[in-house]
Amino acid sequence: MSVELSCAAAIVGAAEANEIGFLEEPVTALQLHIEAIKNLSDQTGVPISKIDGVFSTGWSSELCEHLGIQPKYIDTTSVGGCSFEMHVHHAMAAIHAGIIDIALISHGENGHSARQVGGRGATNYGRGGGAASPSVEMTMAYGLGGAPSGYAHAMVRHMHRYGTTTEDFAHIAKVTRDWATLNPRAAMYSKEKHPFGGPITVEQVEESRVIAWPMTILHCCMVADHGGAILVTSPEVAAGLRTKPVWIAGAGESMGHSNMLEMDDFTATSASRSAEAAYTMAGLGPQDMELALLYDSFTITAAITAEMIGLAPRGEGHTLWKDGRAAPGGRLPINTNGGGLSFNHSGMYGMPLLIEGYRQLSGTAEDGIHGDPGKQTSARTCVINGTGGSLSTTGTLVLVADD
Amino acid sequence: MAYDKPIPPRGTHTQPFWEGAKEGKLMLPRCKDCNRVHWYPRFICPFCHSMDLEWIEGSGEGTVHTYAVQHMAFGPWAEEAPYVTAYIDLKEGDRMLTVLRGVDPAKPEEIKIGAPVKVEFEAANEDTHIPFWRVVEG
Repeated sequence: MSVELSCAAAIVGAAEANEIGFLEEPVTALQLHIEAIKNLSDQTGVPISKIDGVFSTGWSSELCEHLGIQPKYIDTTSVGGCSFEMHVHHAMAAIHAGIIDIALISHGENGHSARQVGGRGATNYGRGGGAASPSVEMTMAYGLGGAPSGYAHAMVRHMHRYGTTTEDFAHIAKVTRDWATLNPRAAMYSKEKHPFGGPITVEQVEESRVIAWPMTILHCCMVADHGGAILVTSPEVAAGLRTKPVWIAGAGESMGHSNMLEMDDFTATSASRSAEAAYTMAGLGPQDMELALLYDSFTITAAITAEMIGLAPRGEGHTLWKDGRAAPGGRLPINTNGGGLSFNHSGMYGMPLLIEGYRQLSGTAEDGIHGDPGKQTSARTCVINGTGGSLSTTGTLVLVADD
Repeated sequence: MAYDKPIPPRGTHTQPFWEGAKEGKLMLPRCKDCNRVHWYPRFICPFCHSMDLEWIEGSGEGTVHTYAVQHMAFGPWAEEAPYVTAYIDLKEGDRMLTVLRGVDPAKPEEIKIGAPVKVEFEAANEDTHIPFWRVVEG
């Protein structure tokens, strides 16, 4: 593979921020980035709007948001000073693969100014800070805390626009719990395992404690402990292994914003774009998907995602759960492990999605440890969609079982 | 009573906003090339990528885009819960976050998306006056 990559891409320009060194007027890391990028655009004649891949050691989605671009390849590899050389490697691979054409690799670090204006240099533009990040500066006064405080605004807007109700979304929590009762490893598997475990009703979801109206606690995922890993290999290596391969038929990524303040449409995510890329790569469409694993940080996240990736029309995502299609035995099983809502969610739920996708398509989802009878589906195709940040970033995969 | 909620540190390029706020003015960044207002303040216009930006005094008027009621809050806001947060569509374009005033957190169904709002400023300290939005009669 590495031979194939040789000369697969070239560096076509290089520029710096307007002023560098020991600056009298303190600057933020973000400003240093933006000036360098603007100068690079002027130098090369490549409009910033044409950049379709962004690589940085910082919180890359905030960098993109500040620029007002929504690239289809986003990389925040941050492993020290050599990160940028790695970015070149990753960018070359992405270009060679035909995913992107124009990669921006950017660096801004206010090692000197940080003593005056704060900010943690290049690895963060100001998350948790303020002065280093204008989006944080302009939102930190207003009492938003954990994830539910932001996501609730999306549910309200969805209800306003489509006439949906909290009861509609409560079905998602109920059905996802039904799946968890088939997974002995799920935190909410049973009452014996957890005092609040075992089956729940729509009424119980509606009547549980309000966290951020209109969301009660059962509309929200848990925060637990989880570790997981997967292995990806070449077909040649896969052929020699005793485990079954599950093929990555399609992959796509995108972002809408970093801070919810910049969320243009509160009822939509970038999953429409990441899914389109994944489906196109796979030569398959939503109608071909026999299983869906959707990041369900909240019931509203799953509902909107189902709409964005084409499993249901806009405003009707919840019907997949409400009419039983997503439930055990249904025509389109969703979140068969019990989801972030009832299986496990440690903070970043992307890995459990991959693990369950592998188990289902390799026929190992009902091994008695990770699944009781009824959990293994007959699906041969699966769409996985992860959502990051505040409905900010999305990655979609299309997996296909081995024949 | 002293202001006890988190107070934003003033950024390097946002001074005109905070200076305006002290005089009760809602200052907004506008691009001199494409004429569009953006929020939050940028180093570069997020619409046309010009760096020729200026500050204008906004009308201080807008409408509710969406909202939520925070029942579980942290730090000094915890004592305030429940309270209403909202995203405001500015008359000049783009959007701001606020803790919404002039509404009853116990009756969230009565809050109207699209309701007209006006800005007001609260002095958190001598240098930092924070804008909040209040629902007004349509």
